[in-house]
Amino acid sequence: MAPALLLVLGVLAYPIAWEVWLSVTDFSSITGDGRRFVGLANYRKLLADALFWHASLITLVYFLVTTAAKLALGTALALLLQRPSRARALVFLAVFLPWAYPGGVTVVAWYWMLNPPITTAYSAFFGGIKHSVDAVLGGGAYAFLSVALFNVWRGSSFTAIFLLAGLNAIPTELFDYARLETQSAAQRLRAVTLPLLRPYMALAVFLSFTTAFGDLANVWMLTGGRVVFPLIGTYAYWLGIGAGRFAEAAAWSLSLVPLLAAALVLLFRWFDAPEEARA
Amino acid sequence: MRGRQRWAQRGLLLAAAVYSLFPIYFITVQSLKTPQEDVFGSPFYVIDPTLENYTDLFDSDAEPSVRGYVVVPRVPFVVWLLNSAIVLTSTLVVTLVAAVPAAYALGRLRPPGWRWWRRLLFATYVVPHTILFIPLYQVVLTLGLDDSHLAIVLIYSTMALPFAVWILSAYYRHLPREIEESALVEGASPATAFTRIILPMSRNVLVAAGLFTVGTVGNDFMLASIFLLDRHKQTVAAGLGVMDVSLEELVAVAGVNLAAIPIALLCALFARGYVRGLTAAMLEGA
Repeated sequence: MAPALLLVLGVLAYPIAWEVWLSVTDFSSITGDGRRFVGLANYRKLLADALFWHASLITLVYFLVTTAAKLALGTALALLLQRPSRARALVFLAVFLPWAYPGGVTVVAWYWMLNPPITTAYSAFFGGIKHSVDAVLGGGAYAFLSVALFNVWRGSSFTAIFLLAGLNAIPTELFDYARLETQSAAQRLRAVTLPLLRPYMALAVFLSFTTAFGDLANVWMLTGGRVVFPLIGTYAYWLGIGAGRFAEAAAWSLSLVPLLAAALVLLFRWFDAPEEARA
Repeated sequence: MRGRQRWAQRGLLLAAAVYSLFPIYFITVQSLKTPQEDVFGSPFYVIDPTLENYTDLFDSDAEPSVRGYVVVPRVPFVVWLLNSAIVLTSTLVVTLVAAVPAAYALGRLRPPGWRWWRRLLFATYVVPHTILFIPLYQVVLTLGLDDSHLAIVLIYSTMALPFAVWILSAYYRHLPREIEESALVEGASPATAFTRIILPMSRNVLVAAGLFTVGTVGNDFMLASIFLLDRHKQTVAAGLGVMDVSLEELVAVAGVNLAAIPIALLCALFARGYVRGLTAAMLEGA
C-alpha cells in the first residue's frame, strides 16, 4: 500500500495542489520568479474569453463523438469475437493490434499518412479530401476528423478487448436462458446482453473519457503542433509550454475538474450498483 | 438460412480484420518504398521493396546521405530504441512492485475505508495528464530532473498504477481465503504463502496489468517530448515526434514500424493472458 500511495501523492497530489496555487497567481515566464497573488482573476478572464467557450464546446463534441463511435464499434467487435468460429483467434489478434501498436509512434505515421508531403503518390488523394472536407465543414474540420479517427481506431480496439473480457465474465447460463426466453437475436441483445454489459461499458466510457480529455498528444501530433481547432487540453499546452503563460494555462487545465468529478460520480453509481446487489 | 448466417459472420470478421489492420498495412507499404516509388508508385502496394529506410536508421554517425534527390538526415535511432527499452522496463518494474502490495492490502486485508481508498486511487486515473503537465513541468525543472529517465519513469508509473491496482485488488478480494490458510497450516510464512502461491495464481492478472502499462507508456508522446529534450536521452516517440521537417517521411515511417514491432509482438504473445486476466478481475466483482 505504502509505495503506491507515495507515488500517487508525490506525482499527482503535490502537482495538483501546486497547480491550484499557480492558477491564482500571475506567474508566467515574463514575470520570472516574482509571482503575485491575483485571486480569481485568471478564472474571470477565462470565463469572459469567447475562445474558452468555443474550446469547451469542441472538447465536448470530440468526447461525445469519439466515445459513441468507440462504444458502438467496440461492442460490435466484442460480440463478433465472442461467437465461436475458426478464424476467431486470428481476428482477435488483428483487433488487438491497433491498441498494441504503440500510439505515441503510430501517430507519427498517421500524420504522414493523412497529411502527406507534396511529393507522394497519394498526396493528391488526401489533399483532395482535406480541401473538400474543409470547404464543406469549415477550416480545421479535416484535422478534427483525422484526430477523431485515430482516437476511435485505437480506442475501439481497447474497448472491444475490454468488453470481450466483460462478456467472458458473464455466466454462460444467462445467455442460455436468454435463448429460451426471447424470440429474436435483436431482442436478446437489447434485453439481456446490453444490460449485463452495462457496468463494463460504463468503465470503458470512463477510460475513454480520460483519453478524450487527456490525449492531447494525438491532437498535437496530427495537427503538426498548430492550434487548428482549440481543445481545452491543447490550448492549455500551447499557453503553458509554448507561450510560458503558466498561470493562465493552469486555470485552463483546472476548468476540466468539475466535468471530471461529475463523470466520476456517475461512474461509481453505474459501476458499483450491481456489485452492491451481489454482495 | 444457417449458411447465409455463416457467410455474414465471415464477412464481418473479415471487415473487422481489415478495419484494424489497414493503417498498419499502409504504413508498412510506405516504409518499404524507394523515394522514386513513393512519388510514382501506388500507395496500396509496393513493387520494388527495399529495406533501405530501415537500415538508414542504424548508421547514425554518418553524414546526412543523399539518396535519389532527397537528403536523408541521420538520427540516433539505436540510442532511442535503447532509451525506450530502459524506460519501458523500469516503468513496468516500478508499477508492478508498487501495485501488487497496494492491491493485496486493499483487496485482502481491507483496511478501514478500503472501498474509498480504492475509489480514490481509481479516481486518480481520471486526472488526465492534460491537467498535470504544467505543474509537473515546473516540478521536474526545479528538481533538475529534465532529460532524466527517472522523472519520466515515475510519471508513467503513476499513470498506469490506478488501473493495475484496480484489477489486481478485484482479483485478490475474491480469492478464497482458504488458499492462504492451508499454506499457513503447512508451515509457510505469510510472505512465502504470498510469493509462492498467491503471486503465481494471479499470473494472468499481472500480465493484464503489465500489458496495460506497456500500452500506456507506448501511447505517450507528449510527456516524453516535454521532459526529454536531449537528443541522446529521448525515447523513440519523443525523437520521431519532433517532426523535424528534414526528417524524411519514409524513414520516419520505417522508424515507427521498427519501434512498434517488438511491442506489438510482446502484446500478441500475451494477448490471451490479457483477456483472461481482465476477465478474472471482472469475475471477481468490480
